[in-house]
Amino acid sequence: MAQEFHLKLITERAGGGDPIVRERHLAGPELTIGRATDSDIVLTDLTVDPLHAKMRFAGPGRVTVESVSGLPFQVGGRSVQRADIDVASHPVVMFSTYSLSFEPAPDGGTVVTVTHGEHAHYPTRSIFSLQSKVFGRRKMAWTFGAGIFLICLMIPLLFAGMLSHAKIHPDQQWSTGPLSKSHAFLETDCKACHTKSFVAVRDESCKSCHQASHDPGAEAKVLAKSKDGGSPFAAVLVFDHADPKKLTKATPLPDGFGAKVTTIVQRAFNHPTDRCASCHIEHTKPNQKAKGVDATAPLSDKPDMVVVQDCQSCHSKLKMRLGKTELIDTPDWGRHPSFRPLIMTSADGAQATFQRMALTAAPQEKNNLTFPHRMHLDPLGGVARQAIDLGAARGYGAALECASCHKRDASGKGFEPITMEKACGACHSLAYARVGGELKLYPHGDVEKTMMLAGGGAMGGSDRMRPGTIRATPLPGSAPPSAISGSPFRQGGACFDCHTITWTQAGMPHVAPVKLAAHYMPRGAFDHNVPEHGGPGASKAGGYKCADCHKAAESGQASDVLVPDIGKCNACHGQPKTKTAAASDGECATCHSFHAPGKASPKPGHPALETLRWSAMMAKKPDA
Amino acid sequence: MTQAGGHTERVRQRTHEGFLRHKHFLFAQIATALCVVAVGVYFVTANALQEPPSGGSWIGYTLGTISAGLIVWLACLGIRKRVITAGHYSLKAWVSAHVYLGLSLTVLATLHTGFQFGWNVHTLAYALMMLVIASGALGIWAYATLPQRLHGNRGETTRKQMIEAIESLDRQMHDAAQPLDRAGAEAARQSIEDTDLGGGFLKRLTNSYGDCANKRAAAKLRALPASSSAVQAEAITKLEGLMQQKAEVLGLARRQMQITAFLEGWLFVHIPMTFALLAALTAHIVSVFTYW
Repeated sequence: MAQEFHLKLITERAGGGDPIVRERHLAGPELTIGRATDSDIVLTDLTVDPLHAKMRFAGPGRVTVESVSGLPFQVGGRSVQRADIDVASHPVVMFSTYSLSFEPAPDGGTVVTVTHGEHAHYPTRSIFSLQSKVFGRRKMAWTFGAGIFLICLMIPLLFAGMLSHAKIHPDQQWSTGPLSKSHAFLETDCKACHTKSFVAVRDESCKSCHQASHDPGAEAKVLAKSKDGGSPFAAVLVFDHADPKKLTKATPLPDGFGAKVTTIVQRAFNHPTDRCASCHIEHTKPNQKAKGVDATAPLSDKPDMVVVQDCQSCHSKLKMRLGKTELIDTPDWGRHPSFRPLIMTSADGAQATFQRMALTAAPQEKNNLTFPHRMHLDPLGGVARQAIDLGAARGYGAALECASCHKRDASGKGFEPITMEKACGACHSLAYARVGGELKLYPHGDVEKTMMLAGGGAMGGSDRMRPGTIRATPLPGSAPPSAISGSPFRQGGACFDCHTITWTQAGMPHVAPVKLAAHYMPRGAFDHNVPEHGGPGASKAGGYKCADCHKAAESGQASDVLVPDIGKCNACHGQPKTKTAAASDGECATCHSFHAPGKASPKPGHPALETLRWSAMMAKKPDA
Repeated sequence: MTQAGGHTERVRQRTHEGFLRHKHFLFAQIATALCVVAVGVYFVTANALQEPPSGGSWIGYTLGTISAGLIVWLACLGIRKRVITAGHYSLKAWVSAHVYLGLSLTVLATLHTGFQFGWNVHTLAYALMMLVIASGALGIWAYATLPQRLHGNRGETTRKQMIEAIESLDRQMHDAAQPLDRAGAEAARQSIEDTDLGGGFLKRLTNSYGDCANKRAAAKLRALPASSSAVQAEAITKLEGLMQQKAEVLGLARRQMQITAFLEGWLFVHIPMTFALLAALTAHIVSVFTYW
């Protein structure tokens, strides 16, 4: 039986419709397959070689296809150089885009159907638009939108609390700016201050680390909190300016229409303006208007300070808002009340008693001392003469001046307490004898001992030497004291001039105790160190010396209160430069700190951050 | 009738007013006034503020509210343009307002920041907004200049004709390459099958097709050793001519694509970034009030 290949060439019509089928019968034994026009089976695909392969019968129902070009063809998805195929299994051999399907013919031959598969696909006009090629705008839009919504909003909103101890802090991206160095340790712990969502930072958050207390235990607890929280610095502890409830009640709306509206709106939105955070601002660049702030520094040491409400706006008509207040209104400099220093009303008891009195009431101090400043400061008087005689070697040599007795303390802000021995002893000698070249002194302040040394109270008269003169012939130390010194308590005696002395029925002297006030305004912080306040250093023209404020040279009695009144401050503070060269700011806070109204405001940035380091603090307290 | 139609056409041409010049720059004037007022108020009030100016002051909140409202309204153009209305506010008026008020945001939102920037969601929203505005500005430039260039480039050839020309050239190449041996046929196949008309975004934008398959195929063809067969030599010469023609059509089409990429490209930033901006703006507002 002759074996024949029945070729069926199927061509698709370009315009669609039924395909064109052409049939040929080829007797074999071998057929050529290729692009060349003289091939038995012409495949016009350019990847097909001119003479690509051959096929022949290889027994009943079997055909061998073999490449002669070295280029492969595909059978069952595999690239091969040669294939023996069983026609009964309807195999398909692929030459690039042409497929040759085999099937048995009824005459024992083989039907080969040649089909040209895929046609080149040409783009349409839409290829000119980006949309055809690139990526979907809509898809991109939703991806970006949803991504940012999720990452920047939902995750921080829902998981900030959960992840606060992890290394990732999703809510940190919400921070509007860096925290000051003092609070930098809280940078990743937003919830430390922002405890409640949608509620502005409350004072409780701040106070948990910064609340000062008169109870050291409570303060230690507060400090421990910031230390445990990881703060490298000890928190600066402060008191409330006043009871927060009273403060809110006492605070009027600020001046100016805009400020009023802002405040009302803020209050309406639960964002009150009398919170700690209203004045102490975080998450912002350094405030270039704040004093002492290095605006170029990337981080402030401490939160920026802004003044939300000035002092006088609250301290005006205060009684209208706070009926029972004892505070006196101070609407401006001109109406600043007179100073009301603490005046000693009695020095008689173990403790002196004091009372606040306005200077306008010309108070007198009951300190039991007899001391005329006028006499001691008279440049032509006996005191001056004696001071000149004492000479420079002993710290005198000229008429007395304030500094002869009043020595500055270590801080320079105030003065050391006056002690009789140091301030008066050079002239008002307590010496009663010289033993072996050494002077024997009455113990100042010890009446009984002095009496004993002076030989009892029965002594009359005095053998007192002139002040500053030492007895020419030393008295024998064995002699009874009474014989040489007489009584220092009687008129002409060493004690009598300065002290008020009465005698008991038993014949013993009673010296009215003398107490000198250390501070007249203990809650004030007047700084004597400022050159314009008489302190060392060059002062501006118009700066004060002691006598400009303290009318000591006119004072005949120790009971005179020599503290100057507010007018003296006002001569420079709050005055324009045109009026005095020593003009200075008239800000309330210069003398009255907000958190401690009795004290001057600390200088900006004070205390310096580094001094608050725990290690530095511990180093100062070796026992801690 | 024809005459009347022609007349109408001429009048329309003469009085045509684009969205930029709409109503004698009405919205440009409004936007400028808005900016001038905002700058004036900012420098007067920000100076009086105690704290460094930021979005948290009253002027900051005011500018922020206006800016956020504007952003939402500007984004609504996407909805507005899909709605055909007969109302007074024509789409052209909307686009005009969209352009000028959108540009005014660069001033309003910058003042809102108080010139405080950082690596945070707030500055992200600002940066996205600026990106949207910048891409929009690019779009204005594109719409104002490119259509003319597009027309000038293609001359009288339509895009459809360009594609058809390539298709026809490919067919001719296919037929011409039939007598060739393997190497020649491969070069023809490469030009027909591997030539990418468009390509990716950057390729289109820069019009750089140094690796064009047609070009490489032509080079390959030239490098073939001279054929002894006259038929083959003739086929090669014909193919070279076809490839040269194809290169010319490709050049024209690709220049069209480049201009089109410029014309459309900005929208691929403008739209997705607008969505990103709306999300970042929401995050900005919500986060500010969460951690108030």
